[in-house]
Amino acid sequence: MAKRDTPEVNAGSMADIAFLLLIFFLVTTTMDKDQAYIRNIPKIIEKKKENPDPVEKRDIFAIQANSQNQLMVRGELMRDPDDISERIIEFYRENEQVNDVTNDFPMYSRITMPEIESLLDQSITAAEEVEATPGALADIIDFKWRQVAEWEKKKRALEILGTNKLAEISVQAHIRIEVQKGTEYELFAKIQSEVEQGLFELRDDAAMKIFKESYQSIKSRLAMDKGAEDREKIQLLKILYPDRIIEVTPKR
Amino acid sequence: MSKFKKDSGGSAPAINTSSLPDIVFMLLFFFMVATTSKESDPSVKVIKPEGARTTDMTPYKQKSEIDFLYLGKPLNKARAAQYAEMGMEYMLFMDNVVQSTPDLLYNTNSIQAWKLDKFESKPPRMTEPIESVITCVKADKGAPSGIIFDIRKELQAIEALTIAYAVGENGEK
Repeated sequence: MAKRDTPEVNAGSMADIAFLLLIFFLVTTTMDKDQAYIRNIPKIIEKKKENPDPVEKRDIFAIQANSQNQLMVRGELMRDPDDISERIIEFYRENEQVNDVTNDFPMYSRITMPEIESLLDQSITAAEEVEATPGALADIIDFKWRQVAEWEKKKRALEILGTNKLAEISVQAHIRIEVQKGTEYELFAKIQSEVEQGLFELRDDAAMKIFKESYQSIKSRLAMDKGAEDREKIQLLKILYPDRIIEVTPKR
Repeated sequence: MSKFKKDSGGSAPAINTSSLPDIVFMLLFFFMVATTSKESDPSVKVIKPEGARTTDMTPYKQKSEIDFLYLGKPLNKARAAQYAEMGMEYMLFMDNVVQSTPDLLYNTNSIQAWKLDKFESKPPRMTEPIESVITCVKADKGAPSGIIFDIRKELQAIEALTIAYAVGENGEK
Protein backbone atom coordinates (compact mmCIF):
# COMPACT_ATOMS: atom_id res chain seq x y z
CA MET A 1 0.00 0.00 0.00
CA ALA A 2 1.32 3.40 -0.92
CA LYS A 3 2.25 5.72 1.93
CA ARG A 4 -0.27 8.54 2.16
CA ASP A 5 0.70 12.08 3.10
CA THR A 6 -0.83 13.19 6.37
CA PRO A 7 -3.10 16.13 5.60
CA GLU A 8 -2.18 19.45 7.15
CA VAL A 9 -4.07 20.21 10.35
CA ASN A 10 -6.11 23.36 10.10
CA ALA A 11 -4.93 25.58 12.93
CA GLY A 12 -7.18 28.47 12.06
CA SER A 13 -9.48 27.92 15.03
CA MET A 14 -6.62 27.62 17.50
CA ALA A 15 -6.72 31.37 18.08
CA ASP A 16 -10.45 31.18 18.85
CA ILE A 17 -9.90 28.46 21.42
CA ALA A 18 -7.08 30.39 23.03
CA PHE A 19 -9.18 33.55 23.15
CA LEU A 20 -12.00 31.68 24.77
CA LEU A 21 -9.70 30.37 27.49
CA LEU A 22 -8.16 33.80 27.92
CA ILE A 23 -11.54 35.42 28.41
CA PHE A 24 -12.59 32.71 30.84
CA PHE A 25 -9.53 33.41 32.99
CA LEU A 26 -10.01 37.15 32.75
CA VAL A 27 -13.53 36.83 34.11
CA THR A 28 -12.97 34.32 36.90
CA THR A 29 -9.80 35.74 38.42
CA THR A 30 -8.80 38.93 40.14
CA MET A 31 -5.58 40.83 40.06
CA ASP A 32 -5.65 42.24 43.58
CA LYS A 33 -3.97 40.32 46.35
CA ASP A 34 -5.66 40.00 49.70
CA GLN A 35 -3.84 42.10 52.24
CA ALA A 36 -4.84 42.18 55.87
CA TYR A 37 -3.77 42.62 59.49
CA ILE A 38 -3.98 39.42 61.50
CA ARG A 39 -5.10 39.80 65.10
CA ASN A 40 -5.90 37.33 67.81
CA ILE A 41 -9.13 37.35 69.74
CA PRO A 42 -8.67 36.54 73.44
CA LYS A 43 -10.24 33.39 74.83
CA ILE A 44 -13.22 33.71 77.11
CA ILE A 45 -12.17 33.23 80.73
CA GLU A 46 -14.83 31.63 82.90
CA LYS A 47 -13.34 32.47 86.27
CA LYS A 48 -12.38 36.10 86.51
CA LYS A 49 -10.34 37.70 89.23
CA GLU A 50 -12.44 39.88 91.50
CA ASN A 51 -10.00 42.76 91.62
CA PRO A 52 -7.37 42.35 88.94
CA ASP A 53 -4.05 44.04 89.63
CA PRO A 54 -4.09 47.48 88.06
CA VAL A 55 -1.78 48.02 85.11
CA GLU A 56 0.61 50.90 85.56
CA LYS A 57 -0.29 53.91 83.47
CA ARG A 58 3.16 54.06 82.00
CA ASP A 59 2.68 50.62 80.45
CA ILE A 60 -0.41 51.55 78.48
CA PHE A 61 -0.25 53.07 75.04
CA ALA A 62 -3.90 53.94 74.56
CA ILE A 63 -5.22 54.97 71.16
CA GLN A 64 -8.80 56.15 71.45
CA ALA A 65 -11.18 57.15 68.69
CA ASN A 66 -14.72 58.36 69.13
CA SER A 67 -17.73 58.17 66.85
CA GLN A 68 -16.86 61.57 65.37
CA ASN A 69 -13.59 60.01 64.23
CA GLN A 70 -11.48 62.14 66.56
CA LEU A 71 -8.28 60.63 67.85
CA MET A 72 -6.71 60.65 71.27
CA VAL A 73 -3.32 59.11 71.96
CA ARG A 74 -2.20 58.69 75.56
CA GLY A 75 -4.70 61.28 76.66
CA GLU A 76 -3.80 63.92 74.10
CA LEU A 77 -5.87 64.89 71.12
CA MET A 78 -4.21 64.10 67.82
CA ARG A 79 -5.10 65.67 64.50
CA ASP A 80 -3.08 63.61 62.10
CA PRO A 81 -3.28 59.82 62.51
CA ASP A 82 0.04 59.52 60.65
CA ASP A 83 1.83 60.56 63.86
CA ILE A 84 0.75 57.47 65.79
CA SER A 85 3.64 55.34 64.52
CA GLU A 86 6.20 57.89 65.72
CA ARG A 87 4.60 57.94 69.14
CA ILE A 88 4.73 54.14 69.27
CA ILE A 89 8.44 54.19 68.46
CA GLU A 90 8.94 56.73 71.25
CA PHE A 91 6.96 54.47 73.61
CA TYR A 92 9.31 51.55 73.00
CA ARG A 93 12.54 53.56 72.72
CA GLU A 94 12.37 55.97 75.64
CA ASN A 95 13.65 53.63 78.36
CA GLU A 96 15.37 51.10 76.15
CA GLN A 97 18.92 52.12 77.03
CA VAL A 98 18.51 53.42 80.58
CA ASN A 99 15.45 53.19 82.81
CA ASP A 100 14.16 56.55 83.92
CA VAL A 101 11.59 56.28 86.71
CA THR A 102 10.42 59.85 86.30
CA ASN A 103 9.06 59.58 82.78
CA ASP A 104 5.81 58.04 81.62
CA PHE A 105 7.15 55.17 79.51
CA PRO A 106 7.41 51.42 80.21
CA MET A 107 10.38 50.07 82.12
CA TYR A 108 12.87 47.65 80.66
CA SER A 109 14.29 44.63 82.44
CA ARG A 110 17.80 43.54 81.58
CA ILE A 111 18.39 39.87 82.11
CA THR A 112 21.67 37.92 81.82
CA MET A 113 22.27 34.43 80.49
CA PRO A 114 22.84 32.72 83.90
CA GLU A 115 19.59 34.30 85.12
CA ILE A 116 17.68 33.01 82.12
CA GLU A 117 19.14 29.55 82.59
CA SER A 118 18.22 29.34 86.24
CA LEU A 119 14.70 30.62 85.53
CA LEU A 120 14.35 28.08 82.74
CA ASP A 121 15.32 25.27 85.15
CA GLN A 122 12.90 26.61 87.72
CA SER A 123 10.06 26.71 85.23
CA ILE A 124 10.78 23.13 84.13
CA THR A 125 10.69 21.80 87.70
CA ALA A 126 7.50 23.79 88.36
CA ALA A 127 5.85 22.33 85.25
CA GLU A 128 6.87 18.79 86.18
CA GLU A 129 5.57 19.28 89.69
CA VAL A 130 2.17 20.44 88.43
CA GLU A 131 2.03 17.55 86.00
CA ALA A 132 2.74 15.06 88.80
CA THR A 133 0.03 16.52 91.03
CA PRO A 134 -3.12 14.39 90.84
CA GLY A 135 -6.17 16.30 89.62
CA ALA A 136 -4.27 19.18 88.08
CA LEU A 137 -6.22 20.99 85.39
CA ALA A 138 -5.05 20.45 81.83
CA ASP A 139 -5.13 24.20 81.24
CA ILE A 140 -2.69 24.83 84.08
CA ILE A 141 -0.29 22.13 82.91
CA ASP A 142 -0.48 23.60 79.43
CA PHE A 143 0.19 27.06 80.80
CA LYS A 144 3.24 25.87 82.74
CA TRP A 145 4.75 24.23 79.69
CA ARG A 146 4.11 27.35 77.64
CA GLN A 147 6.13 29.27 80.20
CA VAL A 148 8.98 26.80 79.76
CA ALA A 149 8.82 27.30 76.00
CA GLU A 150 8.88 31.05 76.58
CA TRP A 151 12.14 30.82 78.55
CA GLU A 152 13.68 28.55 75.95
CA LYS A 153 12.85 31.12 73.28
CA LYS A 154 14.50 33.86 75.33
CA LYS A 155 17.59 31.75 75.88
CA ARG A 156 17.91 31.15 72.16
CA ALA A 157 17.27 34.83 71.45
CA LEU A 158 20.08 35.96 73.71
CA GLU A 159 22.40 33.39 72.14
CA ILE A 160 21.74 34.89 68.72
CA LEU A 161 21.97 38.43 69.99
CA GLY A 162 25.44 37.69 71.38
CA THR A 163 25.44 40.43 74.02
CA ASN A 164 25.53 39.71 77.73
CA LYS A 165 22.13 41.18 78.54
CA LEU A 166 18.70 40.91 76.98
CA ALA A 167 16.73 44.13 77.27
CA GLU A 168 13.06 43.38 77.49
CA ILE A 169 10.17 45.77 77.74
CA SER A 170 7.87 45.36 80.74
CA VAL A 171 5.54 42.38 80.27
CA GLN A 172 2.59 44.63 80.91
CA ALA A 173 3.46 47.17 78.24
CA HIS A 174 0.81 47.05 75.57
CA ILE A 175 -0.93 48.98 72.85
CA ARG A 176 -4.60 49.46 73.54
CA ILE A 177 -7.01 50.34 70.77
CA GLU A 178 -10.28 51.76 72.02
CA VAL A 179 -12.88 52.73 69.48
CA GLN A 180 -16.56 53.50 69.75
CA LYS A 181 -19.31 51.68 67.91
CA GLY A 182 -19.73 54.54 65.47
CA THR A 183 -16.04 54.94 64.59
CA GLU A 184 -15.57 54.46 60.88
CA TYR A 185 -13.74 51.33 59.83
CA GLU A 186 -11.36 53.48 57.81
CA LEU A 187 -9.99 55.09 60.96
CA PHE A 188 -9.87 51.75 62.77
CA ALA A 189 -7.85 50.30 59.88
CA LYS A 190 -5.62 53.38 59.88
CA ILE A 191 -4.85 52.85 63.58
CA GLN A 192 -4.00 49.20 62.89
CA SER A 193 -1.81 50.32 60.00
CA GLU A 194 0.06 52.83 62.14
CA VAL A 195 0.64 50.28 64.90
CA GLU A 196 2.03 47.87 62.35
CA GLN A 197 4.16 50.60 60.80
CA GLY A 198 5.65 51.60 64.16
CA LEU A 199 6.51 48.03 65.11
CA PHE A 200 7.94 47.41 61.66
CA GLU A 201 10.29 50.38 61.91
CA LEU A 202 11.50 49.31 65.36
CA ARG A 203 12.14 45.74 64.23
CA ASP A 204 13.69 46.88 60.98
CA ASP A 205 16.15 49.10 62.85
CA ALA A 206 17.12 46.23 65.13
CA ALA A 207 17.44 43.85 62.18
CA MET A 208 19.78 46.26 60.42
CA LYS A 209 21.90 46.62 63.55
CA ILE A 210 22.07 42.95 64.54
CA PHE A 211 21.87 41.10 61.22
CA LYS A 212 22.85 43.87 58.74
CA GLU A 213 19.73 43.04 56.79
CA SER A 214 16.26 44.49 56.57
CA TYR A 215 13.35 42.96 58.48
CA GLN A 216 11.39 42.68 55.25
CA SER A 217 14.06 40.61 53.54
CA ILE A 218 14.32 38.20 56.49
CA LYS A 219 10.54 37.87 56.53
CA SER A 220 10.19 37.23 52.82
CA ARG A 221 13.02 34.71 52.89
CA LEU A 222 11.31 32.91 55.76
CA ALA A 223 8.09 32.79 53.76
CA MET A 224 9.98 31.25 50.84
CA ASP A 225 12.08 28.51 52.42
CA LYS A 226 11.05 28.39 56.10
CA GLY A 227 14.62 28.16 57.41
CA ALA A 228 15.07 27.59 61.15
CA GLU A 229 17.72 30.30 61.30
CA ASP A 230 15.40 32.97 59.94
CA ARG A 231 12.61 31.88 62.22
CA GLU A 232 14.85 32.39 65.23
CA LYS A 233 15.90 35.80 63.95
CA ILE A 234 12.27 36.89 63.66
CA GLN A 235 11.61 35.45 67.10
CA LEU A 236 14.39 37.55 68.58
CA LEU A 237 13.05 40.71 66.96
CA LYS A 238 9.61 39.92 68.31
CA ILE A 239 10.99 39.44 71.81
CA LEU A 240 12.75 42.79 71.61
CA TYR A 241 9.66 44.56 70.29
CA PRO A 242 6.59 42.50 71.16
CA ASP A 243 3.26 43.30 69.54
CA ARG A 244 0.88 43.12 72.46
CA ILE A 245 -2.25 44.71 71.11
CA ILE A 246 -5.51 44.87 73.01
CA GLU A 247 -8.63 45.81 71.10
CA VAL A 248 -11.26 46.91 73.57
CA THR A 249 -14.85 45.98 72.76
CA PRO A 250 -16.77 49.27 72.58
CA LYS A 251 -19.64 49.82 74.98
CA ARG A 252 -21.27 52.65 73.10
CA MET B 1 6.18 59.03 -16.26
CA SER B 2 6.13 57.63 -12.81
CA LYS B 3 8.89 55.56 -11.36
CA PHE B 4 6.54 53.47 -9.27
CA LYS B 5 4.22 50.81 -10.44
CA LYS B 6 0.59 51.66 -10.06
CA ASP B 7 -1.48 49.43 -7.81
CA SER B 8 -2.73 46.77 -10.06
CA GLY B 9 -6.19 46.96 -8.48
CA GLY B 10 -6.26 43.37 -7.27
CA SER B 11 -7.19 42.29 -3.71
CA ALA B 12 -4.74 42.91 -0.88
CA PRO B 13 -2.61 39.92 0.11
CA ALA B 14 -3.95 37.90 3.06
CA ILE B 15 -2.38 38.69 6.45
CA ASN B 16 -0.55 35.79 7.93
CA THR B 17 -2.29 34.95 11.21
CA SER B 18 -0.48 31.74 12.01
CA SER B 19 1.28 33.35 14.97
CA LEU B 20 -1.94 34.73 16.46
CA PRO B 21 -2.57 31.65 18.64
CA ASP B 22 0.94 31.97 20.04
CA ILE B 23 0.34 35.56 21.01
CA VAL B 24 -2.99 34.78 22.61
CA PHE B 25 -1.57 31.80 24.49
CA MET B 26 1.17 33.99 25.81
CA LEU B 27 -1.41 36.46 27.12
CA LEU B 28 -3.39 33.57 28.58
CA PHE B 29 -0.41 32.24 30.49
CA PHE B 30 0.43 35.69 31.75
CA PHE B 31 -3.04 36.09 33.23
CA MET B 32 -3.03 32.58 34.65
CA VAL B 33 0.17 33.32 36.52
CA ALA B 34 -0.53 36.90 37.56
CA THR B 35 -4.05 36.49 38.91
CA THR B 36 -5.73 34.47 41.60
CA SER B 37 -9.19 33.01 41.46
CA LYS B 38 -12.08 34.86 43.02
CA GLU B 39 -13.47 33.06 46.01
CA SER B 40 -16.93 34.48 45.59
CA ASP B 41 -18.83 37.41 44.20
CA PRO B 42 -20.15 39.42 47.12
CA SER B 43 -23.50 41.12 46.88
CA VAL B 44 -22.25 44.04 48.94
CA LYS B 45 -20.12 46.96 47.85
CA VAL B 46 -16.78 47.09 49.63
CA ILE B 47 -14.25 49.88 49.17
CA LYS B 48 -11.27 48.88 51.25
CA PRO B 49 -9.43 51.45 53.36
CA GLU B 50 -5.70 51.79 52.83
CA GLY B 51 -2.95 50.65 55.11
CA ALA B 52 0.78 49.98 55.20
CA ARG B 53 2.81 46.92 56.25
CA THR B 54 0.09 44.38 55.69
CA THR B 55 0.33 40.62 55.69
CA ASP B 56 -0.28 38.82 52.42
CA MET B 57 -3.15 36.36 52.67
CA THR B 58 -2.21 34.31 49.59
CA PRO B 59 -0.40 31.49 51.46
CA TYR B 60 -3.42 31.01 53.72
CA LYS B 61 -5.72 30.98 50.72
CA GLN B 62 -3.66 28.27 49.08
CA LYS B 63 -4.02 26.15 52.21
CA SER B 64 -7.71 27.17 52.46
CA GLU B 65 -7.18 28.17 56.07
CA ILE B 66 -9.16 31.33 55.60
CA ASP B 67 -12.83 32.27 55.38
CA PHE B 68 -13.98 35.58 53.97
CA LEU B 69 -16.64 37.78 55.42
CA TYR B 70 -17.77 40.93 53.64
CA LEU B 71 -19.35 43.97 55.22
CA GLY B 72 -20.77 46.73 53.08
CA LYS B 73 -23.86 48.33 51.66
CA PRO B 74 -25.97 46.02 49.52
CA LEU B 75 -25.46 46.35 45.77
CA ASN B 76 -29.17 45.88 45.27
CA LYS B 77 -30.50 49.46 45.52
CA ALA B 78 -34.05 48.55 46.42
CA ARG B 79 -32.91 46.29 49.21
CA ALA B 80 -30.45 48.89 50.46
CA ALA B 81 -33.22 51.47 50.71
CA GLN B 82 -35.59 49.06 52.41
CA TYR B 83 -33.15 48.10 55.11
CA ALA B 84 -31.69 51.57 55.53
CA GLU B 85 -35.15 52.64 56.68
CA MET B 86 -34.95 50.08 59.42
CA GLY B 87 -31.62 51.53 60.49
CA MET B 88 -29.54 48.74 59.01
CA GLU B 89 -27.25 50.22 56.47
CA TYR B 90 -24.51 47.65 56.32
CA MET B 91 -25.03 44.07 55.34
CA LEU B 92 -22.89 41.01 55.90
CA PHE B 93 -21.99 38.65 53.12
CA MET B 94 -20.41 35.30 53.89
CA ASP B 95 -18.56 33.40 51.22
CA ASN B 96 -19.96 30.11 49.97
CA VAL B 97 -23.40 30.67 51.39
CA VAL B 98 -25.64 29.71 48.52
CA GLN B 99 -28.97 30.94 49.75
CA SER B 100 -29.78 33.07 52.68
CA THR B 101 -32.48 35.53 53.48
CA PRO B 102 -31.57 39.18 53.90
CA ASP B 103 -32.67 39.00 57.52
CA LEU B 104 -29.99 36.42 58.10
CA LEU B 105 -27.42 38.56 56.37
CA TYR B 106 -28.04 41.52 58.60
CA ASN B 107 -27.65 39.41 61.67
CA THR B 108 -24.26 38.65 63.15
CA ASN B 109 -25.85 35.66 64.89
CA SER B 110 -25.55 33.64 61.71
CA ILE B 111 -21.75 33.86 61.73
CA GLN B 112 -21.34 31.02 64.23
CA ALA B 113 -23.28 28.52 62.14
CA TRP B 114 -21.49 29.62 58.96
CA LYS B 115 -18.03 29.36 60.48
CA LEU B 116 -18.66 25.97 62.05
CA ASP B 117 -20.19 24.70 58.84
CA LYS B 118 -17.18 25.80 56.85
CA PHE B 119 -14.86 24.23 59.38
CA GLU B 120 -16.69 20.90 59.11
CA SER B 121 -16.47 20.90 55.35
CA LYS B 122 -12.71 21.46 55.22
CA PRO B 123 -10.71 18.64 53.59
CA PRO B 124 -9.43 16.05 56.08
CA ARG B 125 -5.80 16.80 55.26
CA MET B 126 -6.29 20.16 56.95
CA THR B 127 -5.31 19.69 60.54
CA GLU B 128 -5.39 23.26 61.82
CA PRO B 129 -7.59 23.74 64.88
CA ILE B 130 -10.45 26.19 64.57
CA GLU B 131 -8.52 28.76 66.67
CA SER B 132 -6.05 29.34 63.88
CA VAL B 133 -8.39 29.29 60.89
CA ILE B 134 -8.43 32.93 59.87
CA THR B 135 -11.65 34.83 59.42
CA CYS B 136 -10.86 37.67 57.07
CA VAL B 137 -13.25 40.60 57.38
CA LYS B 138 -13.43 42.75 54.29
CA ALA B 139 -15.25 45.80 55.49
CA ASP B 140 -16.19 48.98 53.69
CA LYS B 141 -14.40 52.22 54.60
CA GLY B 142 -17.50 53.74 56.14
CA ALA B 143 -18.69 50.72 58.09
CA PRO B 144 -19.01 51.34 61.83
CA SER B 145 -16.43 49.52 63.96
CA GLY B 146 -19.20 48.32 66.26
CA ILE B 147 -20.13 45.62 63.75
CA ILE B 148 -16.51 44.47 63.61
CA PHE B 149 -16.58 43.93 67.34
CA ASP B 150 -19.94 42.14 67.09
CA ILE B 151 -18.29 39.77 64.63
CA ARG B 152 -15.38 39.30 67.04
CA LYS B 153 -17.79 38.41 69.80
CA GLU B 154 -19.47 35.76 67.69
CA LEU B 155 -16.12 34.27 66.73
CA GLN B 156 -14.96 34.33 70.32
CA ALA B 157 -17.99 32.27 71.34
CA ILE B 158 -16.96 29.39 69.07
CA GLU B 159 -13.24 29.83 69.78
CA ALA B 160 -12.33 30.83 66.24
CA LEU B 161 -9.69 33.13 67.59
CA THR B 162 -7.88 34.50 64.57
CA ILE B 163 -9.29 37.47 62.72
CA ALA B 164 -7.85 39.51 59.87
CA TYR B 165 -8.86 43.01 58.87
CA ALA B 166 -8.58 43.40 55.11
CA VAL B 167 -7.13 46.61 53.72
CA GLY B 168 -5.74 47.76 50.42
CA GLU B 169 -1.97 48.06 50.38
CA ASN B 170 -0.73 51.60 49.87
CA GLY B 171 2.91 50.64 49.67
CA GLU B 172 5.78 52.40 51.37
CA LYS B 173 5.08 55.32 53.59
